[in-house]
Amino acid sequence: MAAEPERRPALSGPSRLARRSVLKGALAGLALPTLDSILAACGGDGGAKANVAAEKIPAPDNPIRWAVSKANPPIDSGLTPKRGSTLRIYNYADYVSPQVLKDFEKKYGVDIRLSTFNDADEALTKIASKNLKFDLYFPSYDSLGRLIQSELVRPLNHDYLPNASNLWPSLRDPWYDLGARYTVPYTIYSTGIGWRTDQVSTDIPGLDNPYDVLWDRQYAGDMAILDDWHTAIAMVLLRNGELNINSTDPKDIALVREQLLDLRTTMKPRVTISMYTELPAGQYGLCQMWSGDAINLPYYLPKKTSSDILRFWFPPDGKGEVDNDLVVCLAQGENPVAAHFFVNELLDPDVAGRNFGFTGYQPPLNQFTPDRLVADGYVPENLATAILEPRDFERGIPLLQLPASADAAYHQVWQEFKSGG
Amino acid sequence: MAEPRASRAGARWLWPLLALPGTVWLAVLFVAPLYVVLAILFGTVDPILRQPVPVWNPLDWDLSQFRYVWQHIVGENPFFRPALLRTVVYVGVASLLCLLVAYPVAYYTARFAGRWKGVLLAALIAPFWISYMMRMLAWVNLLQADGLVNKALSVGWLPDVHRAWLNGQPTTVVLGLVYGYVPYMILPLFAGLDRTPTAVLEAARDLGANRWETFRRVTWPMSRAAVVVSLLVTTLPMLGDYFTNDLLSGSPATSMVGNLINNSVLTPGQTGQAGAFVVLILIVSIVPMVAYVRSTRAGSEVQS
Repeated sequence: MAAEPERRPALSGPSRLARRSVLKGALAGLALPTLDSILAACGGDGGAKANVAAEKIPAPDNPIRWAVSKANPPIDSGLTPKRGSTLRIYNYADYVSPQVLKDFEKKYGVDIRLSTFNDADEALTKIASKNLKFDLYFPSYDSLGRLIQSELVRPLNHDYLPNASNLWPSLRDPWYDLGARYTVPYTIYSTGIGWRTDQVSTDIPGLDNPYDVLWDRQYAGDMAILDDWHTAIAMVLLRNGELNINSTDPKDIALVREQLLDLRTTMKPRVTISMYTELPAGQYGLCQMWSGDAINLPYYLPKKTSSDILRFWFPPDGKGEVDNDLVVCLAQGENPVAAHFFVNELLDPDVAGRNFGFTGYQPPLNQFTPDRLVADGYVPENLATAILEPRDFERGIPLLQLPASADAAYHQVWQEFKSGG
Repeated sequence: MAEPRASRAGARWLWPLLALPGTVWLAVLFVAPLYVVLAILFGTVDPILRQPVPVWNPLDWDLSQFRYVWQHIVGENPFFRPALLRTVVYVGVASLLCLLVAYPVAYYTARFAGRWKGVLLAALIAPFWISYMMRMLAWVNLLQADGLVNKALSVGWLPDVHRAWLNGQPTTVVLGLVYGYVPYMILPLFAGLDRTPTAVLEAARDLGANRWETFRRVTWPMSRAAVVVSLLVTTLPMLGDYFTNDLLSGSPATSMVGNLINNSVLTPGQTGQAGAFVVLILIVSIVPMVAYVRSTRAGSEVQS
């Protein structure tokens, strides 16, 4: 399945650093690289050495305790949000309940400005400009290291976060941020396949390899994948039985390229993050999907359509993509006190429930057990596969930050994919 | 004697002075931003966040990002080329369709609307009152699988139509562009046609030309400048449009150069490449404009 080494266009990019370092990694025998070897591969290149070698990449087997920023110290304890001040939140669209925002505004007399982005790359680009004054941002941990090392985030003062005791114990001291110095988990989700049984006749869970349905030509022009380079890569690697979805092996990069370009040509997918509205509207019947969007599907279905037609598949053995998003306080924000209060509010079970009811993304709080989520009507029985439990984090595979060289190589593949052949 | 000299001196300063606001405007809003684009295109990338680091001194400019884009247009793996060709085809077809729709409307409004001219003009300007995004979102509703368009096509005894209009259909994108930009074409066309002196038209009729001949030999040649201007006014923004495509297709199969720019700008490490596309579009669009200006100047010199 993998392409010949000669056919390694994924690495033919403009970045000499990318090409040389990945090739060097390949020469060093990076079939299934360890983190040390990845870092060595990245750091082995003249001018960029100092910067890239310093890049720290957290992973479950490489937990990191970040140093407390000197440039952006944590705020003092005992402060209260200034009435009439503005709290700027930067988030995905429909990823926080407007009611929760309104309630917070009313409770603390703070004016909330919500700005939205489509994908993490876009968000990072705008945050890096440093002048948008966003107080809160909702990243995943695959960009956390870069945010912290670029001094873009402010350490949290936990005196303001008593509700953190509601979090799953396993996420109170996470591998990506030991001591939770900078982050609070916001939501948890898996990435799988969503479909409508009235448009898709295939028994997807019954397939030998359910990911193959996304390459099944009978659904060409009637399907979508997530507009997220990293998730698309994971989808291809998982389809090929490669559980290291953060592989930096040039062979894997070539494989991802080959199969993504094949997907584009044969399946003509829509590339979007609006599955939660477009699948219920019947725009297509099959898509790669985040579990949180799956949970939200019934809400967007036309009234006369029963939610029984909706399905979500995630590998039953748990060997799929499982992640959690985070809340961080950005250093550029001008209202860190209100930001802390807001984070604490999100960890309140009642507020989190209201938020979950709107976003469909499950908060990792003790109060939200799978049984309760179905019993309380948050999630219909046929979409129970979209609910996560703490053990899913033990078995599932997270998307990690990639070393700069592999990151650039994958981004080039994604660029080629999105340019349309 | 002193007075005429003073007024001559005043006149010498008057015109540059009047041009000053425009010159400043052009410098601040065109030349300076263009230089920023160039500084980013020929600049470097921050190694951790992979954000662009502009290089202001042209002597230090690094051509690698431009070369990368160029190589992927003309080189061995030209994956940017299809999107560029698509842009030319989509924008060309959309502009022609715009002209087919706009010319008769503008012609009618200018020549035959009579006392309704004002009302019609207001109606033509009305789409500008609604944001472009809202108009496109409305089409999303109309065109989705269970939307009004499919329902209308399946009405009564007609077979059930389940056309997926929004899943990467070039037709939808082109029609979206036509819908979005046709008002921009009608106005300059109207302005041009409205100025056609009726005396010339009457002279043509007096000399025996029928309606069609009058149109072909008088109205159309006289409106050619307005046609070119209106084509420029619509074609140039269409060249950079990505939003229509994102909303009405969202598929790489219909990516245009605007999408390439948007994707590059928003992708860490690729921002400079967006600058390369901008420069290429600029060159491609400036050439016909200069050619047009030269040809009209030559024409007017011959006439005088």
